[in-house]
Amino acid sequence: MSKNKYKIIIMIVISLLCIIFVYNDHFLYKTPILKVTKVENKLESTDYNNEEHYEQTITGIVMNGKYKGNVLKTTNRYSKSLVYGDKIEKNDELLVKLSENGKQIINIDNFKRDKYIAILIIIFFDLILLIAGKKGIKTLISFITNVLLTVFAILIFNNNPSINMLGLYFIISIIFIIFSLFITNGKSKKTLSAIVSSIISLLISFGLSFILMQTYGKNLNIWSMEYIDVVHDYYNYFYVCILLCGLGAIMDIAITISSSLNELIEKNNKIDKKDLLKSGKVISKDIVGTMINVMLFTCFTSVIPTVLLALKNGMPLASALDFYADLELTIVLCNCVGIALTIPISLFISILILNNSRKAVIKHE
Amino acid sequence: MNSILWIILFFLLLFIGRQRGVKTFFTFLLSMILIITYIILMALGFNAITLALIICVLASLISIFMLNGYSNKTKSAFIGVMVVLFIIFVLIYIIGKRAKIGGFGDEALETIGAFNFDINYNMTNVIIGMFLVSAIGTIIDTSISVATAMNEVLENNPKIKEKELYKSGMNVGADILSTTINTLYFALISTFIGFFMWHRTISIESLINYKVFTQNIILLLITFIASILIIPITSFISSRVLLNKKIYSFKKIKR
Repeated sequence: MSKNKYKIIIMIVISLLCIIFVYNDHFLYKTPILKVTKVENKLESTDYNNEEHYEQTITGIVMNGKYKGNVLKTTNRYSKSLVYGDKIEKNDELLVKLSENGKQIINIDNFKRDKYIAILIIIFFDLILLIAGKKGIKTLISFITNVLLTVFAILIFNNNPSINMLGLYFIISIIFIIFSLFITNGKSKKTLSAIVSSIISLLISFGLSFILMQTYGKNLNIWSMEYIDVVHDYYNYFYVCILLCGLGAIMDIAITISSSLNELIEKNNKIDKKDLLKSGKVISKDIVGTMINVMLFTCFTSVIPTVLLALKNGMPLASALDFYADLELTIVLCNCVGIALTIPISLFISILILNNSRKAVIKHE
Repeated sequence: MNSILWIILFFLLLFIGRQRGVKTFFTFLLSMILIITYIILMALGFNAITLALIICVLASLISIFMLNGYSNKTKSAFIGVMVVLFIIFVLIYIIGKRAKIGGFGDEALETIGAFNFDINYNMTNVIIGMFLVSAIGTIIDTSISVATAMNEVLENNPKIKEKELYKSGMNVGADILSTTINTLYFALISTFIGFFMWHRTISIESLINYKVFTQNIILLLITFIASILIIPITSFISSRVLLNKKIYSFKKIKR
């Protein structure tokens, strides 16, 4: 136990050091950072909506670079709702653009938000290691691999914009499946059956979405999608969204089914194929409901700000949902269908692979 | 398009789960209606954060008790969800207010540019509430999985001690953790790929401080943290509730 205590203490110390570091990482930045020391708010006007518009006079000190130590002034405007634009408060740190001589602030580019990301990443890492131990390390490795693969895919696409986006992400998706299942579950029949079921489920469920989109997707308002202006291949971009959204869920179901069937076989080597199917069905009934709910809550909520803004502007509910929530709903529903399809497919393939391998073992014995 | 998807989903769920499948379908529909009601109530001017908390409680009630019935198992899952909801709320509130993640970025101007921005309604609160609702799905999912597995362990081994039961919960939790994180990662990153096509040449410096980027990353990390935190909390609560002990009885430990 004392060994564990040491580990925890070391972890806390390292985490604190990291946090202190990101709070003082100004020297790493090329962009000048202004630390706000004084803010004066002045109410400019109040409009018919009771919306208050403010002008702020900001005094701050430059924290890094050539002009470190300079005390500068600038102004900022915001309206109380903060739909677009931000309110600056004392002790905020701002990434700014300075004039040539360093005496004037031309523009406020960003808030310094890196420290909050860092704090959350540290909490995430600490919790995962504390709670899941060795399995946590595997989870982290698989997660980091996924992030690196995503970055890799994005870089490939950004450097060769003429490449077929859907094709690229399809290949990357299959690599995702193989890597993440392999890293977390090791080399085994269980992993193999999960990988095969995931890939086949992905092909079938995405194929179905694709066919449906081709036949019924013409009336979709694809232009309301975020970032669509910079995408040349906009239908393919939409397909990539559908493809990636449910990828993790498909893997989740495949591995859950194959590992629970594997456990049943390990516990009772003579278990009948029919009984396997029966237990598998019971398990799948349990997971499908919560899984599609997770999809709904995690993905569909992203429409909230836009739909709200539309409603606040007097748009009727039906058209607001139609314009700003329809596509997201299509993505969620396509993936819910995909999740539901994955269950019978994984059951079938897992039983096929695990049952055959069992026969081979029995013969060998 | 969507009406066809609804129909396909209904029949698939019916095929997989029969009666339970129909129930699943209507729970899904109800959750959907809940989210839309949430938006409508916000538009009517109610406080965004209070509403989000209420919606989260209702969503947990629906998907825990409606889908799984009332028992010690679901009761402990529900209590676990409530505890984590509270912790996550505090975390999101502190980080969200400080990191200034409210509102839209420049990217959205094309879509929302025609609207009047002076709506007299605090957008930072909207984002904080949205993060809460976004995380509740996975909290519920993990909580039920852990409680169900512990209940099964108890049924197979009725004489199990509290500590062992707790450990079995933690074990199951560690097993499902990696797939949960995978699911969340892809679900949240999928519609975010376009961001990087917009900002092809963005420097790392501005990227990690950029509003839209931080919004998405904070949401991702918060849901991760929520799905991890729920594991020990549900394990602890289940290990007591399932054995019919009170959740708080610190006096007993002192003896």
